[in-house]
Amino acid sequence: MAAIITGNGPCFELALKMTVVAEKSRKPIREGLFAEDANGVSLIGGRCRECAEIVFPANPFCPRCCRETTEPVALSRRGVLYSFTVQRFKPPPPYRGPDPFVPYGVGLIELPEGLRITSVLKAEPDDLRVGMEMELVVEGFFEDEDGNEILGYKFRPVEER
Amino acid sequence: MRDVYVIGVGLHPFGRFGDKDVIEIGREAVVAALEDSGVAWKDVESAYCGTVFAGPMAGNKVLARVGLTGLPIMNLENACASGGSALRLAFQDVASGFCDIALAFGFEKMPRGFIAGNPNDWFATMGMAVNPQYFALNARRHMADYGTTEDHLVRVSVKNHRNGALNPYAMYRKVMSYEEIANSTMVNDPLRLLMLCAPNEGGAAVVVASREAAKRYTTRLIRLASVVLKSPLYGTAEVPYIAVSSQVEAPSVTRTASEAAYEAAGIGPGDLDLVELQDTDSAAEIIYSEELGLCGRGEGARLLDDGATEIGGRLPVNPSGGLLSKGEPLGASALGQVAEVVWQLRGEAGARQVSDARVGLTHVYGALGNCAVSILQC
Ligand SMILES: [Zn+2]
Repeated sequence: MAAIITGNGPCFELALKMTVVAEKSRKPIREGLFAEDANGVSLIGGRCRECAEIVFPANPFCPRCCRETTEPVALSRRGVLYSFTVQRFKPPPPYRGPDPFVPYGVGLIELPEGLRITSVLKAEPDDLRVGMEMELVVEGFFEDEDGNEILGYKFRPVEER
Repeated sequence: MRDVYVIGVGLHPFGRFGDKDVIEIGREAVVAALEDSGVAWKDVESAYCGTVFAGPMAGNKVLARVGLTGLPIMNLENACASGGSALRLAFQDVASGFCDIALAFGFEKMPRGFIAGNPNDWFATMGMAVNPQYFALNARRHMADYGTTEDHLVRVSVKNHRNGALNPYAMYRKVMSYEEIANSTMVNDPLRLLMLCAPNEGGAAVVVASREAAKRYTTRLIRLASVVLKSPLYGTAEVPYIAVSSQVEAPSVTRTASEAAYEAAGIGPGDLDLVELQDTDSAAEIIYSEELGLCGRGEGARLLDDGATEIGGRLPVNPSGGLLSKGEPLGASALGQVAEVVWQLRGEAGARQVSDARVGLTHVYGALGNCAVSILQC
């Protein structure tokens, strides 16, 4: 079972692993969204003990059973691109991204456990195809007021090998 | 249940009206519907007001300008289905015999720009939760599944703007060329600016009555054969969402609401002469045509290719110009569709008249899956 990243604990270790610049703090944009284990970083969802429904983000409440019956589960790092778009205009606040604005992909990633997750994509828009295999990457989205790098999740095309 | 009839409809045009007071926009729509019906205000027995942005008790503020007669009023907010929800309540009052004449109205003065969903701050902060993203995701998937093309998306918008140019109540009232739409700014691929509807301002009102009461005012009886409001089943993807189950396969709320509306009316999709549906974007018209049963799954673009959805076609869709040309003042939108169908069934739609129109359907769909469908028949 993956440890859920919180505050500066495991997150800081993750930061050490992921980058050579370990001076400033790196924080998840929301606690409990992702975690690492020996194989790397995963999104953390919830799986219902009663009906096996998967939810993301993790949340004790199963929307199918309407009871608090889920427990945390590390989700697959890979999925299939169910659909995608390219965000061509700067979204309204609270969006925080590079200034000047840089367009980015947004897609639905279908995970094998039966969940479609809306995600920012790390890809050249022209490379995107419905049905292509995608993998999770956790990286900095922006710096907060205290200079901390704020981490979020993206999916990128799996490199052909 | 008694039969219910529409005896009056009225609109305040949809568009942008500077600093015009939103309550005045609502008042003008109500007065127009009353005048159209011939009903004296004192004889209206109950009223329902749908609005999202006009603030608490907005309906009461309109009543204060039309006249305080003591009638019961309820103010409701139900996203894009607010006006459809008001109509359902007015319908229920008359159908149940609770009263003989009821009013549904809705109006809006919406903030400019695209609506940002925002289920959670962190999610929007990362750059998601913007409504047109979801419309684009639906569009792209439909293209991948069924071969719908960018050309189809352009042509839906060409058609609706051509129709809207004939509608004095529409926001744009302007023919837009294929090139103009195909070269408009890309917003969320594959959707361009002129393939997306604009939030705006406007008002609409509908007076409904029992058969006996209706006959006192008109000889052209238009039956409100059904009004159905549905929320979604678990497992459907309703805007805005962070993640959605793909383990559970559930029919969309547009499908469940329209099936219920057909059954309640005793009318099938094959009986329809025109449809006003939620063309929030070009792809939505194609997708909802399928979910409303106007054609089979994946055949929405073919309806367009065959010319079926043109005003002169087999089943005209959005002869009013739809949301693409009219814009979408949430609380007024569904009631504006009902007004269009009523004018079409009366033969009063002028240059955009659908010939021999006898049965029409309206459809709105909004945030978190509220969907309202009504069927009218003359
Ligand atoms: Zn469950």
